[in-house]
Amino acid sequence: MTQPIEKIETPKGERFIIPIGPQHPALKEPGHFEFTVDGETVKDATVRLGYVHRGIEKATESRNYIQNLYLLERICGICSHTHAMTYSLGVEKLAGVEAPPRAQAIRVIVAELERIHSHMLWLGVAAHEAGFDTLFMYSWRDRETVMDLLELLSGNRVNYSANVLGGVKFDITPEQAGDVLKGLDFLEGRNRHYLDVVSNDALLLGRIRGVGVMTQADAERLGAIGPTARASGVALDVRIDAPYIAYKDFQPALITETAGDLEARFKVRVREIEESIRLIRLLLEHLPEGELVARMPRRIPAGEAISRVEAPRGEAFYFIKSNGTDTPARVKVRTPTIFNMATVLSLAKGLQLADMPMILVGIDPCFSCNDRMVTVREAERAETWTWNELREHGIKVYQR
Amino acid sequence: MTTQERLQQAAELLAPWTKSTATPEDVRLDVVIDAADLGAAVAALHGARWGYLTAITGLDDGPDAGGLQALYHFIGGAAVVTLRVSLPYDNPTVPSVCGVLASASFFERELAEMFGVTVVDTPNPDRLFLPEDWPDGAYPLRKDYTDVPAPQAD
Amino acid sequence: MSNLVDQITAGLKTWARVNSPWVIHFNSGSCNGCDIEILATLTPRYDLERFGVKLQGSPRHADVLVCTGPVTRQARERLIRIYEQMPEPKFVVAVGSCAVSGGVFEGCYNVMGGIDRVIPVHAFIPGCPPRPEAIIDGVVKLLSSLQSPAPVQPIMGPDGGKA
Repeated sequence: MTQPIEKIETPKGERFIIPIGPQHPALKEPGHFEFTVDGETVKDATVRLGYVHRGIEKATESRNYIQNLYLLERICGICSHTHAMTYSLGVEKLAGVEAPPRAQAIRVIVAELERIHSHMLWLGVAAHEAGFDTLFMYSWRDRETVMDLLELLSGNRVNYSANVLGGVKFDITPEQAGDVLKGLDFLEGRNRHYLDVVSNDALLLGRIRGVGVMTQADAERLGAIGPTARASGVALDVRIDAPYIAYKDFQPALITETAGDLEARFKVRVREIEESIRLIRLLLEHLPEGELVARMPRRIPAGEAISRVEAPRGEAFYFIKSNGTDTPARVKVRTPTIFNMATVLSLAKGLQLADMPMILVGIDPCFSCNDRMVTVREAERAETWTWNELREHGIKVYQR
Repeated sequence: MTTQERLQQAAELLAPWTKSTATPEDVRLDVVIDAADLGAAVAALHGARWGYLTAITGLDDGPDAGGLQALYHFIGGAAVVTLRVSLPYDNPTVPSVCGVLASASFFERELAEMFGVTVVDTPNPDRLFLPEDWPDGAYPLRKDYTDVPAPQAD
Repeated sequence: MSNLVDQITAGLKTWARVNSPWVIHFNSGSCNGCDIEILATLTPRYDLERFGVKLQGSPRHADVLVCTGPVTRQARERLIRIYEQMPEPKFVVAVGSCAVSGGVFEGCYNVMGGIDRVIPVHAFIPGCPPRPEAIIDGVVKLLSSLQSPAPVQPIMGPDGGKA
């Protein structure tokens, strides 16, 4: 591949910016990382986002509250339910309406199914980055079971459109509940196998144990959130710290690890799948009876609301301002990845270039949430790399 | 510590710079401060290890209402403390808080490109989301922003 | 004589292309929904690879460009560059409502619209996101048309690429 190589002058002499990517088969999204390297060691890392920046926050100001539900659900195709739910919770706060208990429980069930699907997706992509394609294929095969369950409940595999303002759109019948429980039994068995693989597979451990360590102090200082923070022993989970909807009555256990390396990040996510399965079973068993939707006004009373939800990647934060009309005055969306991205850039310094793909994937970055292209800067040597080559470089280094 | 105790503690920590306060929800505390006091207020929260900065929201209510504002949201458990800074439309400026909270860099870059707020001494003033050929002086999240012309075909 | 050779080689090329198309995927502003479903087509349940479809990273080795998402201002040049780097003949498939028309993001300040506003498109696969089966069906329809006397012609958007 010949792509233009941009030369820049630095005090130390010539260095090269080498553009890489932005497309890659397994990594679904473009972004632009720039690594300054000395031999194999990363000296500096920066990021430039915006390839997927669409201008959604501005668009919310010209659409009404109901239209925005559909727009915001499409911020991200992985945690679509999270975005729609966080938005609904905020608007419901402004209107002084609470969703009925059955709707709350259904929201949580879909959110936890989404967490399982997201974590399994991540497990596959991370395994692929490590060159462990067998695990990639297995986890994606098993993930189809969750997709089937979500489709069974909602009719769609990706954008479930479960939320309406004031409640949910679909009910869960006893037959559907039975099918979900059967699916969960299968997933539980497979998940035990994955926990065994990420804890005991010597080849995988060679790439993840002791790699990219972030201490608890670092995680707190750099502001890591979600599974990335919990893998470093930081007790942070919105579902527990500030319970919302049905989490008030059905509390998940806090899953943390102490090592803070990639292995811990694998384990935290796999154990969270287990916890989600437990939670869904509990909810299905104690599904409250009643209405699915509470009545919402068309014009939302003026005010400001903040809503927080634990997305699969960490805390999602919405700030919604209403001026009393049927269109919001401002919707601010802060997604988890932007937080963890800052940690990974600080973390990268001093580490091996070969570990970069795994460390980046370790935070489960979601660019469409925020908005991968990689640039390697190197003194006195110019090489053109694709992300794929960076990944293969990592795999080769570990084959030695 | 309960949420109310946390909010109480934050109110005490921020008291020296507080102009006025509000509690829009029982888990929230809004504190209005001057832009110049931002560094000191953030350092006080950080020094007492009170929560973390979860987001910086830019807000443009239009010149007739609240004008241009920057909202710094801090979270400790279930408590949310918002530092509210009013900014003039003419040369809005806030000091960078990255010296205290390194993780604020992305938020400050976003605030700068979306609202045209100058963040003094921010470590990386580059754009984060908007394209390179985006015209200077067009800030998409301002209320008076309409649209920029599409790039021409090659 | 050379005419016959040309005909035979052209036939061979079409045969090879239809039986083992190499595909490159580019996300020009998608929400990930379509991208995951494209990736899902390669995983065991759908397993496109058994039909010879290979997803790979370099545009210079690709026959089919599979695009997802509306085109954002910043991704536009990348998309054009990838399209230009692909050898002839090349085929473009727009996957998902956003790639077809801009979808729910039409009118956003950083969005230019569907893929056909920027490069010519041969096949449109609507859906939000389309199911993996629909994506496979779309690619198969495109490829089988290559063997017919009237293969599909690419369509350029309303502004003829001036958007």
